[in-house]
Amino acid sequence: MSKTNIRVLIAKKRIDVHGRGSKLIAKELRDAGMEVIYYRFGTVNDIVSTAIQEDVDVIGISLMTSGHLQIAGKLIPALKEKGMTDVLVMMGGVIPQVDFEDLKVIGIHKIFPPGLPGEAVAEYIKDNVGKAKLI
Amino acid sequence: MGDIDSKDDFKKAKDNWAKIRERYADKIKANPNQSGIPIKSVYTQEDVEDIDLNGMPGVYPYTRGLYSDGYALTPWMQQMVFGFGTIEETRIKMESLVEQGMEGYFGHKVFNVVYDVPAMYGIDADHPEAEFNVGQCGVHMSTPDDYDELIRDWELETTNFSLITGENCLPGLAQIVAAAERRGKTPDALRGNSMNWYPRIAVQDIPSWKPDRGYALMGDLIKYCTEKVPAWNTTNIFMYGISEAGATPVQELAYGLSWGKSVIDAGKAAGLEPDAFAGRLGFQVGIQSNFFEEIAKLRAHRKMWAKITREAGCTKPKNMHARVHIHTSGNVLVAQQPLNNTARITMQIMAAIMGGVQSIHSCSFDETIGIPTELSHRTAMRSQQIMMWESGLRDVADPLAGSYYVEWLTDQMEKEAWKIYEELENRGGFMKGVGEGWVKQAIDDSAYTRKKKITDGSIPVVGVNKYVMDEEEAYEPFRIDMDIERKAIERLKAFRNKRNQKEAEKAIQMLKTACQDFNAGSGDLMPALVEAARKGVTNGEMMEEMKEAFGWEVTE
Repeated sequence: MSKTNIRVLIAKKRIDVHGRGSKLIAKELRDAGMEVIYYRFGTVNDIVSTAIQEDVDVIGISLMTSGHLQIAGKLIPALKEKGMTDVLVMMGGVIPQVDFEDLKVIGIHKIFPPGLPGEAVAEYIKDNVGKAKLI
Repeated sequence: MGDIDSKDDFKKAKDNWAKIRERYADKIKANPNQSGIPIKSVYTQEDVEDIDLNGMPGVYPYTRGLYSDGYALTPWMQQMVFGFGTIEETRIKMESLVEQGMEGYFGHKVFNVVYDVPAMYGIDADHPEAEFNVGQCGVHMSTPDDYDELIRDWELETTNFSLITGENCLPGLAQIVAAAERRGKTPDALRGNSMNWYPRIAVQDIPSWKPDRGYALMGDLIKYCTEKVPAWNTTNIFMYGISEAGATPVQELAYGLSWGKSVIDAGKAAGLEPDAFAGRLGFQVGIQSNFFEEIAKLRAHRKMWAKITREAGCTKPKNMHARVHIHTSGNVLVAQQPLNNTARITMQIMAAIMGGVQSIHSCSFDETIGIPTELSHRTAMRSQQIMMWESGLRDVADPLAGSYYVEWLTDQMEKEAWKIYEELENRGGFMKGVGEGWVKQAIDDSAYTRKKKITDGSIPVVGVNKYVMDEEEAYEPFRIDMDIERKAIERLKAFRNKRNQKEAEKAIQMLKTACQDFNAGSGDLMPALVEAARKGVTNGEMMEEMKEAFGWEVTE
């Protein structure tokens, strides 16, 4: 509960049609009092530049069409390179649980399976925002 | 006399029934189904008094099915969605599916090929935005070589190629037409299905054409096929997309039919008579989780479409047929205790069969975790085959006809759907709803309501809010080698190196002009795309010209 005005970037690939989950989470996080920037990205670099520009506290990437390990592998070093190391980074969607550990090793702080209530995500953010580091 | 006696008998039985339940009757409430229609615990002849029960299968308005003997002549088509990697990997999968018994009508081959996300939106493997998505959730299709390999050795006149191309629909068709020509065939040899589902931007947030251009392109494909590829199914009305975006079954019905009506209007605007093309429109419908509601939906759907097409000017019976392909709904599958999804999928297949549909794709139980494995995909198909050969489900046409509940519910679904449909038509129709965004808003609201109800437990979901297990189950999904991206890029490069570059560039220039003419309303587009395909232009290159000419944006 360290921060009041929490800014969240929900990033969804532009060419991915599966928007139901990410839009619901965006709405539920707004219900929980957060400022949500819903963003459709082309490449991973787009996420980084938008996160910096919007000065967000949290990045949530919604994935339904694979490539989670590769996206994480490109995103985390790019964020570090740009000095954005105090951001909380989450992923959600169709992501195999067996990959959660690898994603954490890369630097993703939290991975959510599909269909969770937005409240659970909001709670996690409130508990962890401002504390997370990318090292 | 007999009628009076039986009415008396019924009254007596009903009085007895009322007496037996007197003690607890006030505790039993009518529960709303997924569409919000309150469902009682018992239905009787009184509930169907005002409903016409004189219909027969195969007879207008087809509530009881399109064919007079249901599945007696041939079962439904097993139309499993598949595709991954490059065409080389997918070709192997095609052959194994045939070996495993995947069949269409009368034993013909049927392939339901899904493109990868980049190909769906018209970018080739070497485009920066294609990164990490090439060949992952579908096959990467781009060059004439890819299409030659897709159709190689299959007998065109009997094989059905359903191409799930997304917005890359006209270029995809152009490529398969050119591939057929290279085999020495004329385009009319081809059988299959284009999705042609531009109107889905009403419900899904994807990059696409501006609505008026989308509709014009849809009309162009219909016109081309009507003249050149008459056995090709031109348009898939994507009710499944409406449903997956969050619509209730009644909304899916109403919006889907309104979408269908808008396609008929677009065909008429392209100068075609409804009888010339309406028979080549088909529906892709979802099956969610309420068994009887879904069956009633399918029965009402046929009846309503028959009425809409007849009023639009169709005169031949087959042009009033709502041909339905079922995609069992993915959104009701859950990631928790994933094997449980097989029960959900089996129920969905059963509802589809009892609803009398023409073709079925059954989801794999592990789709909530990742890309289906060979085993889960095969089991999904085997589930259909078990229903087909062991269950007796297909022995009798429309087996639930005459059920008080199902007849009443069919009628209710129809009435509720007409209300939404009429409202939409009165506000200017589906295309206007696309442009102004209110269809999407209504569906998003339904998705939100449903999720709230799952969260508060009023919609029970096993594994999510009931019978929850803390224990996590490690499940290894199918992996597609990320190296496939490099392979696809190499294939593309190799193709570009061997093609006649001058000819290809000339064809691109001609396509550019054709796009401008199309915008000015002074020319058709499909012929120019087919010519480009003949000259080795890739799907991505075709789409680039089209995007420039017809606008390209995400509607959110």
